Amino acid sequence: MRRRAIGQILLLAAGLAVLTVISAGSVYLVNRAREDARWVVRTVENENQISFTQLQLRRAESAQRGFVLTLQPNFQTDFEEAASQIPPALTRLSELTSDNPTQKRVLDQMIPLSHQRIEEFRKTIELARTQRLNDAAQIVREDVGRAAMNHIYDLAGEMRAEEDRLFVLRTTNADRSQTLAASMTGIGSGLVVVLAGISIFLVRRSSRARDQAEALLRDNNINLEATVDERTADLREANDEIQRFAYIVSHDLRSPLVNIMGFTSELEELRGDIFKRIAALARAGTSTPLVPDNATDSAEPVLEGTDKQLSEEFTEALGFIKSSIGKMDRLISAILNLTREGRREFQPVRIDTRELIEGIVATVAHQAAEADAQIRIEPLPNIVSDRLALEQIFSNLIDNALKYLKDGVPGDILIRGRTKLGFAIFDVSDNGRGIDPKDHQRIFDLFRRAGTQDKPGQGIGLAHVRALVRRLGGTMSVASELHTGSTFTITLPINWTFSNRNKAS
Amino acid sequence: MSKPVTIIMIEDDEGHARLIERNIRRSGVNNEILPFTNGTDAVNYLFGSDGTGLNHKGEALLILLDLNLPDMTGIDILRRVKDNKYLKATPVVVLTTTDDSHEIKRCYELGCNVYITKPVNYESFANAIRQLGLFFSVIQVPAAAT
Repeated sequence: MRRRAIGQILLLAAGLAVLTVISAGSVYLVNRAREDARWVVRTVENENQISFTQLQLRRAESAQRGFVLTLQPNFQTDFEEAASQIPPALTRLSELTSDNPTQKRVLDQMIPLSHQRIEEFRKTIELARTQRLNDAAQIVREDVGRAAMNHIYDLAGEMRAEEDRLFVLRTTNADRSQTLAASMTGIGSGLVVVLAGISIFLVRRSSRARDQAEALLRDNNINLEATVDERTADLREANDEIQRFAYIVSHDLRSPLVNIMGFTSELEELRGDIFKRIAALARAGTSTPLVPDNATDSAEPVLEGTDKQLSEEFTEALGFIKSSIGKMDRLISAILNLTREGRREFQPVRIDTRELIEGIVATVAHQAAEADAQIRIEPLPNIVSDRLALEQIFSNLIDNALKYLKDGVPGDILIRGRTKLGFAIFDVSDNGRGIDPKDHQRIFDLFRRAGTQDKPGQGIGLAHVRALVRRLGGTMSVASELHTGSTFTITLPINWTFSNRNKAS
Repeated sequence: MSKPVTIIMIEDDEGHARLIERNIRRSGVNNEILPFTNGTDAVNYLFGSDGTGLNHKGEALLILLDLNLPDMTGIDILRRVKDNKYLKATPVVVLTTTDDSHEIKRCYELGCNVYITKPVNYESFANAIRQLGLFFSVIQVPAAAT
């Protein structure tokens, strides 16, 4: 996935680079083409200028000839006009060719020649005008003029040839620049298209991969939900089975217990009869006079020595059996009650917590007065939960707080509440005898108690409370030190619904 | 209780049966007590070989019923007794270890006349049975299928 992302970024970068290169290249090549075109134009202009100069020279010459022949002033005017054009044309030409040493060299030869020719024409015209026609004809006839003129022609031809050569060269350059620009654009565009194609391919591939991954994820989710449902069902079943098991076991244990207890009591009755008989027999043996047969009398028989000891041992044994049975019965009842609680369906209702706790406090008011204890209730958050479960939780905790106060110290029990992140947190604090930290886990176990065992109880209350809190989707904890009091903290969801926990428990 | 009333005691635990019988006798009830230790035998006796209960026509019966039986539940027997046209007027006393409120409610709904939980404490147990015996000695029992 990461590699693919890097690939796409690289691709985009490559595309950008190609576009940049194409743009820069195009700008450069267009500039070069324009430059080339300007050079081509320059060449044409040069040729023009050369031709123009040559033409003016020709005009000056023909005007000079015409004047020498006819002496008409028109020709002189023509000549002056043509001659006046030549120096600027030459200056212009030298300006234009200043970058080309070859042309410059040729032109350097041509300029004096041209000036010389114009001077010569002017001289002939002057001679002709002053009626010295022969001298003028003489000058014309001299081959010097023609040779100079031919020389100028040659030079001009040379220049034109040079310009032609440059023209071809520059045209080729311009063509090449344009071709280059065109091909560059073409190749670049092609590259961009190719890159775009690769991009599209990659995007499609990755989106296909994503679709597959999504489908897989969806399948997994469905599987996971199915698995969770299955597990939940299994757990629920296992839990139900444990509940049934506990119920049946405790129920079936009770039946033999009734027998044990019953026949023990019967034995006790028999014991009375037996020892009365023994006492009677003993008296008969010692022939005590005037003792009525008291075997059926309700009075305790008078026993002596080993008989008395036997009777006491008998009574002691029966007493242990009966107290053990009583204890066992209480434990079995407790298990039964717990399993019954575990099977009860919870009903979420809106609960005015303060009212509920005030109700509990009212029921324990008598015990509180006896223990010289006050119960304070601070403002409490209201929650949605099971009313009976909540009543049991708080009444167990308040009962415990009242039950395990310190002797001789007025009790102070405080109930506080606050909310945090969808949970209501309740504290039940007392200033009682406290719990040794090593017993903090133990007190939540079924049938386990801690500290001085001077109060009646089976060790069920807190186990029950914790089971209820857990079923309500909450947690509970204790903070306590010996002799300084205890604080039980209960965290419950503010809005408990069936889905939270009940289904699973 | 008039002399001919027969007490049918359906109780799988022989110890319980013995304790119950003893305490009923102690309360001065001398009626015949027929003990059954399983449901099948009791059903066979109650409804006869034809399963109609016709054989008890004209007899006065009182049934002491335990709910936890090895081969069936006492509830089944209760239902059958109360559905039978000859036996439906027979008083049924459920005497069991269960004190589950659902169970108690169900029994009364099915027509049981008295529901007693066997207390583990023997004094309470003996007391309960003796009072039941006293109760037996004063109640009127109709003859089956009148």
